[in-house]
Amino acid sequence: MVTWTSLIVAIIAISIVLVSLIVVRPSITVGKGGKILAFVSLLVFPALSGGAGISEHMERSKRTEFCLSCHTMADHGKSLHVDDPSFLAAAHYQNNRVPRDHACFTCHTDYTMFGGFKAKLRGLRHVYVQYLGKVPDQIALYSPYNNRECLHCHQGARSFEEGATHNAEPGRLEQIKVNNLSCNSAGCHETVHGIDKLGDAKFWNEVREDGPK
Amino acid sequence: MDRSRLERRLRTSGVLVLAGLAVELATLFSSRPTAFLLFIFPGSVLLLIGIVMFLLSLLTAEENTKPE
Repeated sequence: MVTWTSLIVAIIAISIVLVSLIVVRPSITVGKGGKILAFVSLLVFPALSGGAGISEHMERSKRTEFCLSCHTMADHGKSLHVDDPSFLAAAHYQNNRVPRDHACFTCHTDYTMFGGFKAKLRGLRHVYVQYLGKVPDQIALYSPYNNRECLHCHQGARSFEEGATHNAEPGRLEQIKVNNLSCNSAGCHETVHGIDKLGDAKFWNEVREDGPK
Repeated sequence: MDRSRLERRLRTSGVLVLAGLAVELATLFSSRPTAFLLFIFPGSVLLLIGIVMFLLSLLTAEENTKPE
């Protein structure tokens, strides 16, 4: 089956062959056919390759393995396998409430290059810190977690809208929906990744199609 | 613009585009943030400069071949 990556490789390979022709024998661009060849080789195919490559990298950067490829994120990756349903990230990951291969991106949709300009700059800073700076001991979000990320999926769901705790007092549900009352407030879903509790945690052995992890 | 100058510019833009494509190919199979950054810089930047240089050489060639 032809995959998107193999298609991009084919486009790049064709581009390389065509551009090499121009580089080796630029005199072939004298005629009308040569001019068309130069246009296709030096504009159409490179633009196509660049666009397809960016699209592929953007899609790939939403994958869990991309986020966890930095050593700094190892504990966050580990927290997804905690055998305790009170760990919010773990419960979502293990019960397929978020796609496992896009676990981080599903709950952090406005992070680094997927956020605004400031978030993109922070993403660059993260790379700088990873290789040239000092990684802080504790990793924290730049701004409080926005309920919007939870409501992408939970808003409208019966378990959320009619949940006893969410409706314990009049107006509470509305406060949650407008982000005035955080889903991660104390006494609610406060343990998200629970990095500081990982030392004492038990871990779930993820069973995959290719056997236990 | 004389022909040899135009060919020289075409060759330079071709080399830049080739370098950009090589970086793109090298980073395509990695899922690490550094691969993405290398793809953008220098990969995409080289591609872009090569393309712009090609377009500029077309424009200047056109200007110089206009009848008086």
